[in-house]
Amino acid sequence: MMTLSDISERSSNWLTPPMGLVAMIAVSAPFWLEQVGLYQYLGIEIAIWLIYAMGFNLLFGYSGLHSFGHGAYLGVGAYAFGLFQVHLEVSLWGGLLAAVLAAGLAGALVGACVSHRRGIYYALLTIAFGQVFWFSAIKLHWLTGGEDGLLNIPRPELWLGFARIDLNDNRAFYYFILAFLALTIMLLWRIVHAPFGRVLQAIRQNEMRARFLGYEVWRFKWAAFLVSAMFAGLAGGLFAMAQQSAYPDVMSLHQSGLIVMMVLVGGGLVSFWGPVLGVMLYFIARDFLGGLTETWLLWYGLLFMALVMFKPEGLAGLLDDLKQKLGVRAKAPSLGLD
Amino acid sequence: MTLLLPHLFNGLTLGLLFALIALGFTLIVGVMEVINLAHGSLFALGAYVALVFLGGDWLAETALGQWWASLPLAGRYVVALVFGPLLAGTAGMILEFCLRPTYGKAPLYGLLLTFGAALVIEELIRLLWGTGEQHLPLPQDINGAVLLGGLIFSKYKLFAAGFSALAVAAVWLFLERTPYGAIIKAGAHDSEMVRALGYNLGRLRLLVFGFGAGLAGLAGIVMAPIWGLRPHLGIDVVIPAFLIIVLGGVGSFWGAVIAALLVGLAIGVTGAYASAWSLMSMYLLLIAVLGFRARGLLGRKSALES
Amino acid sequence: MALFEAHNLHKRFGAQIVLEDISLAFEEGQVSGIMGPNGAGKTTCFNVLTGRYKPDRGSIHFQGRDIAGLSPQRIAQLGIARSFQIMNLFDQSAVIENVLIALPDFRARRHHPTQAVFNDRALLDEAQSVLQLVGLGGRCWEPSAALSYGDRRALEIGVALAARPRILFLDEPTSGLGAEGREGLLNLIRSLKDDYTIVMIEHDMDFLFRLADHISVVHWGQVIAEGNPAELMANKWVQRSALGGLS
Repeated sequence: MMTLSDISERSSNWLTPPMGLVAMIAVSAPFWLEQVGLYQYLGIEIAIWLIYAMGFNLLFGYSGLHSFGHGAYLGVGAYAFGLFQVHLEVSLWGGLLAAVLAAGLAGALVGACVSHRRGIYYALLTIAFGQVFWFSAIKLHWLTGGEDGLLNIPRPELWLGFARIDLNDNRAFYYFILAFLALTIMLLWRIVHAPFGRVLQAIRQNEMRARFLGYEVWRFKWAAFLVSAMFAGLAGGLFAMAQQSAYPDVMSLHQSGLIVMMVLVGGGLVSFWGPVLGVMLYFIARDFLGGLTETWLLWYGLLFMALVMFKPEGLAGLLDDLKQKLGVRAKAPSLGLD
Repeated sequence: MTLLLPHLFNGLTLGLLFALIALGFTLIVGVMEVINLAHGSLFALGAYVALVFLGGDWLAETALGQWWASLPLAGRYVVALVFGPLLAGTAGMILEFCLRPTYGKAPLYGLLLTFGAALVIEELIRLLWGTGEQHLPLPQDINGAVLLGGLIFSKYKLFAAGFSALAVAAVWLFLERTPYGAIIKAGAHDSEMVRALGYNLGRLRLLVFGFGAGLAGLAGIVMAPIWGLRPHLGIDVVIPAFLIIVLGGVGSFWGAVIAALLVGLAIGVTGAYASAWSLMSMYLLLIAVLGFRARGLLGRKSALES
Repeated sequence: MALFEAHNLHKRFGAQIVLEDISLAFEEGQVSGIMGPNGAGKTTCFNVLTGRYKPDRGSIHFQGRDIAGLSPQRIAQLGIARSFQIMNLFDQSAVIENVLIALPDFRARRHHPTQAVFNDRALLDEAQSVLQLVGLGGRCWEPSAALSYGDRRALEIGVALAARPRILFLDEPTSGLGAEGREGLLNLIRSLKDDYTIVMIEHDMDFLFRLADHISVVHWGQVIAEGNPAELMANKWVQRSALGGLS
């Protein structure tokens, strides 16, 4: 986990050692997943949620803006992808672009309404908007297919110029998503170390001071919302391809709450890699614990509550404490991102 | 106009029930400056617990369940009315314990905790009672319809309206005429002052949480036959509850009651024209209100606005 | 026209009139002071001058331009900086980053999404030189939350300085400082006198009288006296409103 004292030339590069580690694990995954009792589709799910979670943390952890209704943008992305395939044409890039743009539009509109608020009112407004989207998805059957959603969404072929790749093959699809994940991580890494990202962090820490230093706070908060919504939309489009369907439940408060829990449990409040840890833990809990008991989600929720009460720094924070105990780290970092 | 009457009446009934929920909510927020996102879930818990007492569904296999199911429905309903709020109140007090480590930290943590609690309670409900819609059986005496002035009214809704009105009055009496109530009221205005006066703030908070949760649970039981039961009932309720205290002002008794009646009437009336969308109008209304004026009609600025 | 002028400012909160027809002028290159008892309106005056509140009536001119009613960020962009009495730092960031955010060179590229900030030697050097000025040059990479109170005060001023303002407003800079801290601050502000126009609210009259070229006394929402320190000491209003007692 990065701390303040680690800021160095390397931290602002395009590639870093943790990225290398994550890349190695991710790229090699299809070869050992089944050996450890897992399955290829899990890799797809994790990769999609990683895109969603990393983008979400730009807003939640870095900007300190607590959106509890973010599932709406994943959902909008999924529906946009599906509707594009059904009503316009079966197109991979068209669909994904539609997903990102539609989610971006939704994010821009909602962001404009919420960004002048903070704290609890912000959170409640995002819940209200999330519910509006969810409710609309259910009621507008002519558009969204109602409660059942859009079904039979195809996975269009990937044309690479020299080869046609059938994305119905889960392994190929996994690598396709991985490419987007890599792009997402690299881009977000740059963003949080660039002026735009530093201003967001300043706004999180002290909105008033940032304003008095000449920053258009509302504009930055809005932009953070927009960007995170677009990443959610991308994840949504890929999700629609993965599940080959899009349905309202994705936009429910329950689902929106899941991403919040994942990100906090992993340590998104203090670490760039927090969301990665959080997503992995969630899916491990789901598949391993879920195999043992139906009540795994209840335990996960209780874990979340316990962490909020006693260790909001989450897994990343616990790992950092461990590193400290083992003497690797000199002092304890305060709660905050670098 | 007469066509509107049943809807107005529905709205009024709903409004009175909302008043119970909102009162509990506003007292908690007033005393603790915590938005209890789990308040709706406590409401839902009350409703589902009522299901246990009335339906006796999962106890049905056992001997206890059989005996219980054989008792008159009316008696079981009364028991539900007593134990539902007690259980919800207990859950509320447990939640207050959980909140203690977050006091003094940024409001975010309290918000996250109650959010987590809401999701945990929802999951618990899902596990215990399934994800489908359920219905509450009602005692014969309060079920059915009654003819009043040429219009048909639901007997149950009359009962619900009357009961809630009595409950609201009882809450008022408690707050205004009893020493405990006075402390709670004072605490809702200025918790620091209450502590300075020597009252045990921790115990006060516990009491308020329990009381507020109990009110929510009570509302849950009474409302369940009208709204039905589903796991996400909690969320359906939290938004209107928050809307009401924003409109009526944090910590204000009459603000909560008046705003609750207005909101209830709004739902009732939109129900006349676009029933599918009446609940959504709540979300839109909240957005409109928070988008512009967040201090409400009768309230004061609170720590929520920092 | 002076660098910064305010005319006939009027401000009320609810039924209470806090500022009544206040006019002030701050000349370039000078240290100007605002003093007065608590509740006199000097804090509100300060907040109105720096854009935190909008005046109900009156105008505020900076470099000839009316800035009354502009947003705080616009005012900051015009070259007006302020420090805060209750410290307003970025507590989760390193000392150097607090200052970095304030630099106009940084602010100019605030929308850039990918440029690596910590690779920019020029920016870092500039931030470091500001820290040097306030005596924190050797502590750039420490977490700002770990500094002592006096050092945080210094950082608070450093952040305002880093914005390279045409005019610097300091809100009770000696707040909470002991005798040694105050001396240090006195020397710091003295060293800044030549390069900056400074406006200061202060309670510590000794401090103010040793630094300021011109002082306005605000009481009952109005300017009741003004002049240089010597003139003020002789002023009977100042003496009468129990602000006297200076050695």
